Amino acid sequence: MAIAEAPALAVRRAPVAVPARETLGRRITRHWADYLYVLPALLVMLVVIGYPLVYTVWLSFHATPPRTGEWVFNGTQNYQDILSGPRFWRITMNTIYWTVGSTLFAFILGFGAALALHNPFRGRGVVRALLLIPWVVSAVAAAYVWRWILHSDYGLVSGMLRSWGVIDRPLVLLDSKSYVMPTLIAVNVWKEFPFVMVMLTAGLQTVPEGLLRAARIDGASTWDQFWHVTVPHLKGVILITTLLLFVGNLNSFTLVWLMTGGGPANASQLWITEIYNIAFRSLQYGMASAFSVILFIIMLALGYFYVKALTMNAPRREG
Amino acid sequence: MFSHEPTRNPLIINRRRLMGFLAGAVATGIVTKSEALAYLQDSSAKTGVTAEEWNPETIKALAGTREVDTEADLHALVPETTEGTIQYWNVGPTEPDPQITKDLYQEFQDTFARYYPNITLENQNVGYNDMLDKIRTAAAGGAAPDVAKMPILWGVEFAARGDTSEVTLEEFGWTAEQFWPGALKSVTWDGKLYGVPTNNETMAFIWNKQIFADAGLDPESPPTTWADVVAYSNQIKQETGKNGYGMVAKVNAGNTPFRFMPVMWAYGGSALDEAVDEPTYETTMINSPEGIAALQTYYDMYVRDGSVPTSALTNTQTENQDLFIAGEIAMMISHPSEYVAMQGRAAGATGADKERADQIVANMAYGLIPEGPVRRAVVFGGSNAHIMSDAAHGAPVNRDAARALVAMLTGPEWSLKNNWTDSNPANLVGFETKWMKQRLEEIAFLEVTTAMLPYGIPFPVVPESPEVMNIIVPEMLQNALTETMTVEEAANDAADRINALIASR
Amino acid sequence: MAGSRRGLNFNVLGLARWLFLAFLLAFTALPMVWMFSTSIKTEFAAIQQPPVLFPAEPTFGQYTTLLSPANPTGQQFLGYLKNSVWVSTATTVLGVLIAVPAAYAFSRFSFPGREPLFFSVLVRNMFPVVVFLIPLFILMKFFGLIDTHLSLILTYLTFGLPLSIWLLKGFYDNIPPELERAARIDGATRFQAFWKIILPLSIPGLVATAIYAFIQGWNEYVYARTFINSQNLMTMPVGLEKFFTEYASNWPGLMAASFIMSVPVVVLFLVLQRHFVRALTEGAVKH
Repeated sequence: MAIAEAPALAVRRAPVAVPARETLGRRITRHWADYLYVLPALLVMLVVIGYPLVYTVWLSFHATPPRTGEWVFNGTQNYQDILSGPRFWRITMNTIYWTVGSTLFAFILGFGAALALHNPFRGRGVVRALLLIPWVVSAVAAAYVWRWILHSDYGLVSGMLRSWGVIDRPLVLLDSKSYVMPTLIAVNVWKEFPFVMVMLTAGLQTVPEGLLRAARIDGASTWDQFWHVTVPHLKGVILITTLLLFVGNLNSFTLVWLMTGGGPANASQLWITEIYNIAFRSLQYGMASAFSVILFIIMLALGYFYVKALTMNAPRREG
Repeated sequence: MFSHEPTRNPLIINRRRLMGFLAGAVATGIVTKSEALAYLQDSSAKTGVTAEEWNPETIKALAGTREVDTEADLHALVPETTEGTIQYWNVGPTEPDPQITKDLYQEFQDTFARYYPNITLENQNVGYNDMLDKIRTAAAGGAAPDVAKMPILWGVEFAARGDTSEVTLEEFGWTAEQFWPGALKSVTWDGKLYGVPTNNETMAFIWNKQIFADAGLDPESPPTTWADVVAYSNQIKQETGKNGYGMVAKVNAGNTPFRFMPVMWAYGGSALDEAVDEPTYETTMINSPEGIAALQTYYDMYVRDGSVPTSALTNTQTENQDLFIAGEIAMMISHPSEYVAMQGRAAGATGADKERADQIVANMAYGLIPEGPVRRAVVFGGSNAHIMSDAAHGAPVNRDAARALVAMLTGPEWSLKNNWTDSNPANLVGFETKWMKQRLEEIAFLEVTTAMLPYGIPFPVVPESPEVMNIIVPEMLQNALTETMTVEEAANDAADRINALIASR
Repeated sequence: MAGSRRGLNFNVLGLARWLFLAFLLAFTALPMVWMFSTSIKTEFAAIQQPPVLFPAEPTFGQYTTLLSPANPTGQQFLGYLKNSVWVSTATTVLGVLIAVPAAYAFSRFSFPGREPLFFSVLVRNMFPVVVFLIPLFILMKFFGLIDTHLSLILTYLTFGLPLSIWLLKGFYDNIPPELERAARIDGATRFQAFWKIILPLSIPGLVATAIYAFIQGWNEYVYARTFINSQNLMTMPVGLEKFFTEYASNWPGLMAASFIMSVPVVVLFLVLQRHFVRALTEGAVKH
């Protein structure tokens, strides 16, 4: 084993002096064993996702009129129809509001929770477990419970405020065009912050104690320690967490659907609920596919630039 | 007009009252005599039912007049020795449903197994909220069942796509006269039948007599017109602080159009042209002056008077029910099964709640849906049984076995028993059986919803219906109620969208 | 132990921390309290106005109905619970088994196509669930997996793998290769090095991954109701829908069921979260 290592190490010490490049084919065959490690994962993803992906993209170029059930190739007509539709910008604004708002506040709350629970105290484990509950509860149950709490006419908040005499008319949250989005975002944040908490709790464990101690010895304040040692080390986790939150929120369907159905007057209509409407109410599967592809491209672009912006820790590799 | 005390007292409805009401309407000048007769006949042309033929009195007289031997009929049609496996999906009873419904559901399967010992019936009870999407996906993937029983509005998209098999009434031993013409219309696509009606029902109007009394209204007289509803609702709100009418206006909730369309039709408007005698489904009347007037009633109640729950914009009927049982709203349109459900919930009250619960139940009254200047209308509802196509099923459907099942489902005995507490047999022979007699004695209030059948109008039988009814119409409501648009603008906007939809076919 | 102890120092940061935690707990708990409170009311009491937090006559009828194998509802419910546990556990175990080597390879190896492949693993999450419904159904039917738990497990794997792989990769990246190299120079195989060095240091990541993977399947509804037809194979979320009909709703029942559904995962986390311990990296490097 040690002998085999030596040449590898030797090569590494003088990277610039590497001789003539190998062909791609050669490189692939040399690394054949490496691919085995990723093979199961790739297989699952490719098979389970590959077909639907191709199908959806293919379908997005077809018109699927419910009346005849025949699919007719119509080029980019679906895309044009969607992008030029009057609702598109309204829904886009809503979606941005929803996604950015939920991601931002869920992240802040979750990070705060991870930090607050970082130092041990008696009962910390129980608190951690309790704070996990919103994430665990099903979205269906959460939607109904929160709806009940926030309902204008039989809700807990409205009822209590009225019986305390604070307000004399029902509190209108979900039925108000202005308040519906902040309300829904608050519920979504409730649901999602534990995820951030769990991820960052794990991430905080990787911050080397040694570095923090050194910084403290050098006289760094708590804030400096946090900002200059902890956060950079957490870049990777923060990246993946916020990215997944973002993508997850773009796809987040159940809460909005059950609580308001996209109303009132499309004030809470998101891309995802609109896609559902197009697919399962208007029965325009082709158009819904096109909409999904648009959504996908946007997410892809966002993801790419996001990753580039917050480049990961330099990975340490073996040759 | 109609009043009901649960279980003990017999229902006080008779044909005289019905005619008397019409006479009253004529007398008060709401409507002229010829109009009165005209719209009676108008509605009946759509469903083939006239108030003279079908009302609680005549129904009672009919019941028990014919002996039916389901087993013999079935075996004459499809031999007892028939073999095969049949997958059957339906919206069956769930946990909150009454015990009798669950018992009869099981009895159907057991009886079918007894009649056809060599046919394996794979019954699947799919939830109402799941059924449509599930069967769509299954059909698209070639995994649909052999037979499906679906609510009346859902089938046409499958017929348009070729997911259902063409059928004839004769292959089940039926004739067209045994079904309401409106019911048959709902299973006709492109001039061919793609299903058989199993049951039909309509909704009725329910109100809380106590709240009426508290507000200074006569507890025995429900509002007769929609204009009354607006006025009563306002009075109730002013006098008692409780909400008057239970409005639902949530987008993408099936119950919204079921409650708004009766208003729309009553005023003379319609989403397409489904309310006229021979609808073509090619034009829209949603922004006619009549349609706008209908939308105006909703606006008046929600915005001008504030006499309905503010949560109407995101409420489904289920939540409305909660409000009714809590005594927070005074009146609403209600499906027969809701009546049963509400009684059941009230019955489960304990302790201090018991008294309040009993009171609510004692004050629940059932009557006809109010009418408008043009007609009295309600959505013609029910379910149909479909034999799916070989393509949708993914394999050849066992036609004989499927026929046996559908014949039993749509026969006089089981089209009644399968819908014991909440609907009526689509097969009119069912009204003549002894079981009908039994049911009339046991569950009196159903006579009211039966009485509404003459006024039933089916939703447009086109695949675009879901989009129109679940999205365009509710969004029109919400645009008007949130004052995003004026009433007229909202109606015109809806009309534009519907026209665009029709044009894009 | 790790971290500076605040002790009884009454400083602003400490106070803020306690206040924040208190707020968070209240925010988290409110719906759960309401959920529980509703679950012990009768159906009639549940919707009375004004709403009360503590019912005058609490009843645990919903819970006894749901949890007792004696009656049909209880049998069904317990069946749903069992199925959910099975599907989620399988998803978790398989997920970890597949993610670990993949993450390791992405972290330690350098092979052609590494970056694009890595990014492509993320792709799945970017497509809306609803749109994939029909093609995925067709795919599962093609493999004969309709009405089997495997169809769900495979689907849920795709939800959880991206994060699992990326998270674990992050952990592995933070562990210096020198540690492994040192171990292998001492005669360990690559696998032994992994097992003895990498694994213990990445346990927090594994825990996070496991929780995430478990939850993917636990609450998932749309695919569960589409792929599964047989009553005895249904998972909890699909079962919850049975509390609703077109016109009726059993609120206390729904709340009780939801409450019960939350318990296993919280317990799981309670047990596992002890493993969120700080890695002792310095000690290892000194070897």
